[in-house]
Amino acid sequence: MSIPEQDRDDVLLRRAAKGDQESFTLLYRRHQAALYRFALRMTGNSWAAEEVVQDVFMTLMREPKKYDLARGPVGAYLFGITRNRVMKHLERLPRELSLEEPNGNGARTNEAAVNRFTPVHWAEQQERSERVRAAVSELPAEFREAVVLCELEELSYEEAAQLSGCPIGTIRSRLHRGRALLLAKLEILRDAPRRVSAAR
Amino acid sequence: MKCEEFESIGLERNGVRMSELDAALRQSAAEHAARCPGCAALQESWQEARIALQALRETTRDAETPQRVEMRLLHEFGMRHRTRKARSAAIFAAWALATAAVLFAGVSWRNWRLTQAHGNVSAENVVKTDAPAPSVTPADTSEEPTLIADNEGEFTLLPGSLPQETDDSAIVRVGMQRGALSALGLAVNEERVSDWIQVDLLVGPDGLPKAVRLPQ
Repeated sequence: MSIPEQDRDDVLLRRAAKGDQESFTLLYRRHQAALYRFALRMTGNSWAAEEVVQDVFMTLMREPKKYDLARGPVGAYLFGITRNRVMKHLERLPRELSLEEPNGNGARTNEAAVNRFTPVHWAEQQERSERVRAAVSELPAEFREAVVLCELEELSYEEAAQLSGCPIGTIRSRLHRGRALLLAKLEILRDAPRRVSAAR
Repeated sequence: MKCEEFESIGLERNGVRMSELDAALRQSAAEHAARCPGCAALQESWQEARIALQALRETTRDAETPQRVEMRLLHEFGMRHRTRKARSAAIFAAWALATAAVLFAGVSWRNWRLTQAHGNVSAENVVKTDAPAPSVTPADTSEEPTLIADNEGEFTLLPGSLPQETDDSAIVRVGMQRGALSALGLAVNEERVSDWIQVDLLVGPDGLPKAVRLPQ
């Protein structure tokens, strides 16, 4: 099923550039969640993710003409800006605030989904989730990106490579290294004996 | 299969990416895991890690940007485009004003040139021709203008009026008391102020009387 001409992202962007607020709102609502999730999973911090998304759309608002339809869809363009902002954030604040306080604010978790489980299950899941969040947040940025894209966003290698702007082989190797580091960190967190090759 | 090879392929998710591997490789990985306790433990650890990742994915699955971000962006959008519109309007107004000023100056200059040319022609006509049409005699500025009998048939300029082309003017005959001429700035014989007379007024295009004469 094809999207009607007037609802296409590039058409909305063109209209938004001319001052059509409705088009801008539609574009924002269409892409904000995916960008926010990626930023949140990469930074592990909802405030940082919020700032990144805001910054991305401010850039789009300020310089809509920078988008080139020939180079790909608006979604990929926005993701590219998000990725750059996230990487800048990680460079600027290495390790800082990488582990968010549990229940720090309402934007973080899917409370409704969590509450479906029993309290024990919920507590276990929370603990596991916090452990893995901490471990992911401590990964170097490029390995973290590969893990977030392939394991959390569940993208294929090809899609992840496209979004990261690197070859598939690079994504594969980053993912491999990311997983090894992640395993090592998780084993350390639970005091399990560590496999030497995994932490290499 | 060696342990390093297993590490690179044995940790693939049992879904999408595992199916990307060919069956022989998958079989080989499974056999290696069965033989090597270290790799089996690694695979098990990774399964646990994957469950933890799954939990993390679930907790952030429906995460969305808070509403306040949208509000801030829309506010900024409104500001930005209002400012742009105001600036465009100001630029347009400035250009319109400049154009109007240039047009006004051009028209004024043209009128001035026309007035100059007509003035010259009128002056020449007054000097050189015995025009049968009503003519305008410039008021003598050295003496007070007086409506006297011997300039009957000719217009006498009222004080404050300038000689001008009479094409656009109208001649209006009115009845008035002689004393009313003094209101037009003319000297009047005091003894005959109450006499009723008829006068022709030369009314300019602006509706004001410019000259007066006593009809024949």
